[in-house]
Amino acid sequence: MMFWEAGAAHPGLLVSDGFLRVARTEPAGGDTCGVRWVRDDVPDRDARSERHVLAAGDAGVARACAEPRSRAEYAADMRQRAVLSQEREAAAADAAVRRFDPRRAGLPEVSIADPAAYLDAHQAERPWLTAAGGCSPEVQRVFAALDQGGGHAHIRHEGWVTEEMSERRVAYLEDPAQIDPAKRSSGIDGVRTPEGPHRCRETTSRIGNPDAFAVAFVRGVEHPTVKAALDMAFTPGRIPRPVSLSIADLLGPDGHRHCTGWRLQPVGDSMAVAREHRAAWVDARAHGRHPDAPEPKAQPVGTFAGGTIVFAFGPTRARDGYEVVTMYPRPPRDERQGGSR
Amino acid sequence: MSTFYWERHPEGPFATLIAVAASYCSPDAYDGAYDDLVRRARSAEADDDEMRVFKAELRQALADPSRLPRGELSAAVEYDDGSDEKFLHRLWHDLYGDESVS
Repeated sequence: MMFWEAGAAHPGLLVSDGFLRVARTEPAGGDTCGVRWVRDDVPDRDARSERHVLAAGDAGVARACAEPRSRAEYAADMRQRAVLSQEREAAAADAAVRRFDPRRAGLPEVSIADPAAYLDAHQAERPWLTAAGGCSPEVQRVFAALDQGGGHAHIRHEGWVTEEMSERRVAYLEDPAQIDPAKRSSGIDGVRTPEGPHRCRETTSRIGNPDAFAVAFVRGVEHPTVKAALDMAFTPGRIPRPVSLSIADLLGPDGHRHCTGWRLQPVGDSMAVAREHRAAWVDARAHGRHPDAPEPKAQPVGTFAGGTIVFAFGPTRARDGYEVVTMYPRPPRDERQGGSR
Repeated sequence: MSTFYWERHPEGPFATLIAVAASYCSPDAYDGAYDDLVRRARSAEADDDEMRVFKAELRQALADPSRLPRGELSAAVEYDDGSDEKFLHRLWHDLYGDESVS
């Protein structure tokens, strides 16, 4: 007897219980070799009685192939393919970080010999640099270049920011970039010049792994849409529009697992009112007044699966081109429901 | 999949207004962006088509805020003003002063 199994070209369909889920896939080109007949007449240690039979499809002629492997052999092959796929992804990510050219991102050049020295020299007063301490020289170079630019992505949206810092940022506008604790608790921004109140979206987020953060950045600045923004002829006062790219495109299908975040709780059904209350509450606290507004609350973001990574732009410090002023993951729209008003 | 209204609807109503407001007024905007927008609005360079469209769309939105695509301006800018209408009035006043909206 034969039964349908799927996934020869899609190792992700192999589930951990060893049972291959039945799902018919139609590769874009119409080739159905991803779906094949598998023999079950070969003795199999984990053979099951269930048989999932897919009726002859209505989407054209499926090319059925006789599969000589047992289910166990098939499963082992799929696992091997998954491992190879992960290794290929890791190698591709490594290659992307190796070919990173800071100047193409509007950042100062940093040679591969310099980054560790830069991190060592500055991490006492710039604690976010400690995140890259154990990373490869190539990843350290990305952080050293970013830190010498005008952007704050690696300061507010990388793993050195703890979950508690993220929660307090979105609820109380406490800026992780502000290293003075008194100013931080008063909602003073750590980057703005001159000093001013910190602003934060209704969701704050981070890529919790420095390697993944570096890969997202270097792949992002290589993307044609971001590249076009960075290459725009500089005109004082004008800036490219923000761009969003799929997390999966930048970090692979499981890339969302590197992302975490916190979201302001709506007041009633309104996020606009929640933001208004948050601003009033933080202002009252900073000026020693009793807040009239209720204390803001935050909740963790459920998932970033299907989300994007946002790139926003600004002028370089020399005001001769554009750079990425921030980069952060954003959950999908349904995860942000209630947040659009 | 795209996050932003102007990516999903590049030719959609108020796409320029929402994109420019997000670029200069959202929490993601660079330090000094709002001041740059004020200067850009007041300089009225002849070749600045984006600002010409922006001003026209801002006028339309102020005339009837219910015509804005639901939730998109708030999601893109995340102002603290409490409503689209309050934000747009502040923006007009900061950029164009006492100039008549109509």
